Amino acid sequence: MSKHLALFGFALPLALWLLPLALLPLVATGRRRHAVPAVAAAPPDALARWIGATLTLAGVAAIAGLVLGLAEPYRVGERVTRIGIGAQVSMLIDRSGSMNETFAGRQPSGAEESKAAASRRLLAGFVGEREHDLFAVTAFSTAPMLVLPMTDRHEAVRAAIAAIDRPGLDYTNVARGLAMALSQFGTDSGISRALLFISDGAAVIDPRVQDQLRADFAKIRPNLYWLFLRTKGSPSIQDRPEGEDTPQAAPERHLDLFFRSLGIPYRAFEAEGPQAVADAIARIEALERDPIPYTEVRPRRDLTGWAYGLAALGLAVLVLAALAEADMSARRRVERPAEDAPLRRAA
Amino acid sequence: MSEPPSADVLYLPRWRPRGSRPGAHRGRDAGGLGTFRDQVPFLSLPDARRIDLRATLRDPFEGVHVRRFEARVPVEIWALVDLSASMRYRGAGDRMALAGELCAGLAASATRIGDGFGLIGCDAAIRADLTLMATRHRSAALAMAGKLSGARCAAGSPEGLLEAARLLFGRPRLVFLVSDFRWPPDLTRRVFESLALHDVVPVILADSAEDEGLPEWGLAELDDLEGAGRRLVFLRPSLRRRWIARERERREALTAAAAASGARRPFALVDRFDAQALSRHLLAN
Repeated sequence: MSKHLALFGFALPLALWLLPLALLPLVATGRRRHAVPAVAAAPPDALARWIGATLTLAGVAAIAGLVLGLAEPYRVGERVTRIGIGAQVSMLIDRSGSMNETFAGRQPSGAEESKAAASRRLLAGFVGEREHDLFAVTAFSTAPMLVLPMTDRHEAVRAAIAAIDRPGLDYTNVARGLAMALSQFGTDSGISRALLFISDGAAVIDPRVQDQLRADFAKIRPNLYWLFLRTKGSPSIQDRPEGEDTPQAAPERHLDLFFRSLGIPYRAFEAEGPQAVADAIARIEALERDPIPYTEVRPRRDLTGWAYGLAALGLAVLVLAALAEADMSARRRVERPAEDAPLRRAA
Repeated sequence: MSEPPSADVLYLPRWRPRGSRPGAHRGRDAGGLGTFRDQVPFLSLPDARRIDLRATLRDPFEGVHVRRFEARVPVEIWALVDLSASMRYRGAGDRMALAGELCAGLAASATRIGDGFGLIGCDAAIRADLTLMATRHRSAALAMAGKLSGARCAAGSPEGLLEAARLLFGRPRLVFLVSDFRWPPDLTRRVFESLALHDVVPVILADSAEDEGLPEWGLAELDDLEGAGRRLVFLRPSLRRRWIARERERREALTAAAAASGARRPFALVDRFDAQALSRHLLAN
């Protein structure tokens, strides 16, 4: 009971001191009274008793409703945790300058769209497909940028994604971006987590940072999806470089190898055009289907309208009763002259 | 009452009153100039002025006969007026004003033919300020009747009527019991029993607003004048029928109670005082 009571509050609790006035209808009535020699003359009538009780109740409701309305009741806001289907998705988006180029490696012109624009369009569709997905957006170039922490506000996520085709910045520093993207996941366990890594290139990860990343991946264990927007002509993930096979020579291949060595579910999608990106995203979407607890925020709700509604209902009943009041005097005035007439003739 | 009553109330006592004072009603005793009653031998009534020659000549034994006439004697008219709180009721008419009119009519009619008129107002006890011993003074009787309409009615039950009945010991009188008779059944019975000696005419002060004048539909908050509380009624045709039937039953119960102690049929004085209707009622019952 007290738990339920705690859900309600009043903006002006002082007005509640007037609440005892609501007992007035129990002792008084606003109806016109007709003095009669004996109320016992009226036959007992259950219907009238019911009506009387209803009117008393309506009076109580009217006054109580008005007083409550003055006190401005509200239902306190709360956060409700529910289970839905979805995943925590942390997006790590490359903002290096090359993202502004088309898949052909040129500046976009005419109907062509840049890699950033294509991924923006497709990711925007991805967000909001499922209601209970949580998204975080991180961008990186030389330094990582926290764009949006983990949230279920898809509007904000879409806005963040809409901003990723702004002109790109500098170079590609994958390691710090990955670290920040990982830090976006909360500490909740038992949730499906996905790290969606979108880039058009890779960079060497410092071996020291590699250990730290390994530890983070092992702790969080996200599903890692690498959407590699490959520019035509640039090396693929699998391509072995000619000559020495060092991270410096083939950063993509070595990043892939690093990801494979993490021991977490990992898929790389190599996309060479907008259609390939769309396919990759559709597949990611299909993979991430697990129950996820999500919180629903119920804002504080003003109940003043309900209180006034209650008062209005009570008052309406009382007004109806007032309109239904019998006029005990009108009838007599009509009848009397008729009675007098024959007597005058007789006299 | 400042204005004179519209007509006289005519009444006949049910009993033959005794008395030697001349009055207007047929007495039990012979004497005076009344209606012929019988013939008696001269020896039993040696009144030479009333010798009936015809009867004397007709008598084969040559006895002398004397005519006897009924004495005309006065009676006393008393009005016992209930001054309980319910008499404050104003419906189509003011109940106490109605009682005042009735008493003024009775007072005028009684004093006009030499009968005495007395009035006792009773609430929980006899009200000394509204009590008048029987008098033939017309002005005194009318003045007291006039005081009635302004009388204060506060008490709940008119127990004083029992006291008033004790006050009327001795000879029979014509007693008008003026009330709305909204009494407990036990009190009704006791009052009628205590007045059994007299020729009692119960006069119900009724009001059309109490039954026939009730509206067909509507809500009404009733407030009891005798302090029985408030009650909400929802008037509708079926309830109105039941209500009127209930009032009729109440009157029938009163008629039965009156008959049980030898009183006359109650007369219902509805809304206003009609002396002719009362006269017709009194001559018929």
